[in-house]
Amino acid sequence: MIPAPLITLMQTEVSPQDVVTPFEQNLMVGLVFVIMFGLGAGLTPRDFRLAIRRPWGLIIGWVTQFGIMPLLAFLLVIGFLYQLPREYAAPVALGALLMGSVPAGTTSNIFTYFSKGNLALSVIMTTNSTLWAILMTPIVLVLYGRVLFPDENEFQIPIFNIVVTLVLLLLPVIGGMIIRRYSANIGAVMELLGGFFGLFFIVFLMATWVPRNWVLLSDTPWQTYVVAIGLGLFGIFIAYLLARAIRLHPMNARTVALETGIQNGPLALAIVLLTFEDHPDLGLILIIPALYSLFIVIVATLVTFWFRRANVAEEQKIPNLL
Amino acid sequence: MTTRPWLSHYSSGVDPDLAPPAFAHLPALVKASSAEYAKTIAFTQCMPNGMNGSLTYAQVDELSDDFAAYLREVVGLAQGDRVAVQMPNCLSYPIVAFGIMKAGCVLVNTNPLYTAPEMAYQFADSGAKALVVVDMFANRLPDVLAKTSIETVIAVKISEFFPPVIAGVIRLVQKLWTRSLPKITVEHEAFRKVLAQGRAAKSANAAEGYLIGVGHDTVAALQYTGGTTGVSKGAMLSHGNLVFNTLQMISMCGVYMRPGKEIVVTALPLYHIFAFTVNLLGFYHIGARNILVPTPRPPSNLKRVLENYKVTWLSGVNTLFNALLNERWFTDSPPKHLVASAAGGMALHESVASRWREVTGTPIVEGYGLTESSPVLTFNPLGGMGKDGTIGIPVPSTEVRCVDDSGATLPVGEAGELVARGPQVMLGYWQREDETAETLKDGWLHTGDIAQMDSDGYFTIVDRKKDMILVSGFNVYPNEVEEQIGAVAGVLEVGVIGVPDERTGEKVRAFVVASTPPPTEASIIAYCKEHLAAYKAPQSVTFVEDIPKSPIGKILRRELRAQVLADSTTKGQA
Repeated sequence: MIPAPLITLMQTEVSPQDVVTPFEQNLMVGLVFVIMFGLGAGLTPRDFRLAIRRPWGLIIGWVTQFGIMPLLAFLLVIGFLYQLPREYAAPVALGALLMGSVPAGTTSNIFTYFSKGNLALSVIMTTNSTLWAILMTPIVLVLYGRVLFPDENEFQIPIFNIVVTLVLLLLPVIGGMIIRRYSANIGAVMELLGGFFGLFFIVFLMATWVPRNWVLLSDTPWQTYVVAIGLGLFGIFIAYLLARAIRLHPMNARTVALETGIQNGPLALAIVLLTFEDHPDLGLILIIPALYSLFIVIVATLVTFWFRRANVAEEQKIPNLL
Repeated sequence: MTTRPWLSHYSSGVDPDLAPPAFAHLPALVKASSAEYAKTIAFTQCMPNGMNGSLTYAQVDELSDDFAAYLREVVGLAQGDRVAVQMPNCLSYPIVAFGIMKAGCVLVNTNPLYTAPEMAYQFADSGAKALVVVDMFANRLPDVLAKTSIETVIAVKISEFFPPVIAGVIRLVQKLWTRSLPKITVEHEAFRKVLAQGRAAKSANAAEGYLIGVGHDTVAALQYTGGTTGVSKGAMLSHGNLVFNTLQMISMCGVYMRPGKEIVVTALPLYHIFAFTVNLLGFYHIGARNILVPTPRPPSNLKRVLENYKVTWLSGVNTLFNALLNERWFTDSPPKHLVASAAGGMALHESVASRWREVTGTPIVEGYGLTESSPVLTFNPLGGMGKDGTIGIPVPSTEVRCVDDSGATLPVGEAGELVARGPQVMLGYWQREDETAETLKDGWLHTGDIAQMDSDGYFTIVDRKKDMILVSGFNVYPNEVEEQIGAVAGVLEVGVIGVPDERTGEKVRAFVVASTPPPTEASIIAYCKEHLAAYKAPQSVTFVEDIPKSPIGKILRRELRAQVLADSTTKGQA
């Protein structure tokens, strides 16, 4: 027996245009660009050399990114979403699995920046996981997809889109680094503006998205919320514990945690929109990526406050000199 | 004539007796370098996020001329009038300091960390008629000015002389984010306007006139210090003192200070005599680029400085070098172009020195001096034989010896008070003849430090005669702290001593005999922080039954220290 509210839910027309409008997609691309530019303006080649010289952060990041996150998404789907009727659960689960399989998001860099973590490590981890995603995202999708959707057709993973995103991600970083090399002043202003606009646009997107999708939000069953919120929240904590367990420097452990938990929401949305363009369940597939993108901002903000206090407390306190 | 076994240890080319300098006063020294290096960048101020502004030698020269003209023509100050300066390291500092000297006035450096009563005391004691203050600290002035003879207040922005947009961003951040710009309620002039007025009023003839009669024996600065007694007083440093000490210091560094090629980080505050003479005067004289860091706290503030500039020299105190060695970004990629580093202000720990050499691959040498000696008295010769743990050998034209209580010179290896004579020794304390007579005897400066000399002529400090506590190079006088703690309700008796501390060299610890109800440790520390500069407040308070005292009731700090030492060894054994 299907409970009555769910029947209504399945009959509700979830229009993909409502979930993510083209305007919001463009804004997100612009946002990523501005933020990455600002981040680049705060980096030197020396920072990257350091991250490579101490590769443990990168290795653990790779393991959490493509080992833990997809597994977490899989377990959450099995444990929660699959209690719901399959007609609803399957397309939503597809979005959830994709969300767990995409590489780290650029917003993790912003949160790392605000939490006074290791920004260079964060950027290099994002780059690293994005490069690996070309290989790893299809592999984990197929791996878990076979279990979750034994009957459905295989998905096409749009490698080209991922490559484009990677370029989008790296160009402004390099641009920022070059500008900063020639003018520390302009670099510092870019860095400030990037952080400011990044924050502003995130708040703007959330403030406009939530009221417009109020009906969708109130109709969505709690299991979906658990998956959407849990993916980021548990991801952060598991990665943090793991990083601490292998005795990573606490600041780097916090960076790895944020990096792991914060997935590339915009990329997942873009993949869904481009790959399942004519799919009848497109609206449902979009739900988890959209909800995840919304809640990760809230979760990451809270975690950032906590991490920032810890990072600041660990900062060397020296007395006034002379 | 004393024996000078150190003479054979000077680096080659060092004249043990400096020829009389060609400069009659500091403005002449400044003018000479300004002309020689006119187009070169003299100062760059670097903020923690990398924002920066710069001034060339020619600009510094011209702007300080403007400021001198303002002080004399617009304010109407006369030769010898005191001008107090209270600001962190910023581009305005050299303009103000050089301008005051060019005007024939006397610079009174003031620690910006001072509380209102400390400021009032120093301004009143020096008789300062004008004050140049950074706007961030100007909110303390209403309580202060009435108790002083200051008539003119000039407010300086930290972002002065930055490119306009950058300056605007910094102001905005200060206003909205850090909220570090209090409203200035006293009457004041803006620094930029002041310079414009000076520019309009200045003339070359008049500028020469400001310095008629100014020579080596004319007071250039009143540098406040507690000296050996703890009462804050102004050491009168003459133009000759500062010119000589600048040249003495440079000669000890020999080929390591290459004219026109050095980039030096000034992370220590310029209001302190160490950075003032070594960085501001010394490196200006050799045409270096000085990177001014407003505050090195936290030490990560220096990250951008070391990334963005090819730093060749670093001057600092043990605390700073140690802090940098504890920063990963620093040890992972130490400055590539570094030539040498100089430590002063407090003892440089041997472990820090050897780690510094290991990490940077460059020499670090320790020097020694006092505010009263402008400050450099001894220095380990760079390129010559340096000895860790020693304060090195006397700089040229300087005699140093260890004496017993009767004033007789002690043989090699025997510890006694270190006394010194040379052209850098102050004229005396400002309006304190008794204290001057106690410190300067027959031209010999009595430092109050107990030292011994080895057969090579290297000196080692073994103890301090006085009870002064040295926190990161800051002098803290137990008397002053005890006086404040004594005023806390519930405190019967108090003794303050310094105990060893890994980071700051020493830290302040108070021993208190309390009545009932007893005050809490936190309340005592909070009270001290309210009435004293933060570094003077005790780090911890120990409540005790009684405090060791002499028969006439004088607190025996020596015994308190012995108790602490005994406690720590028993704890170590347990």
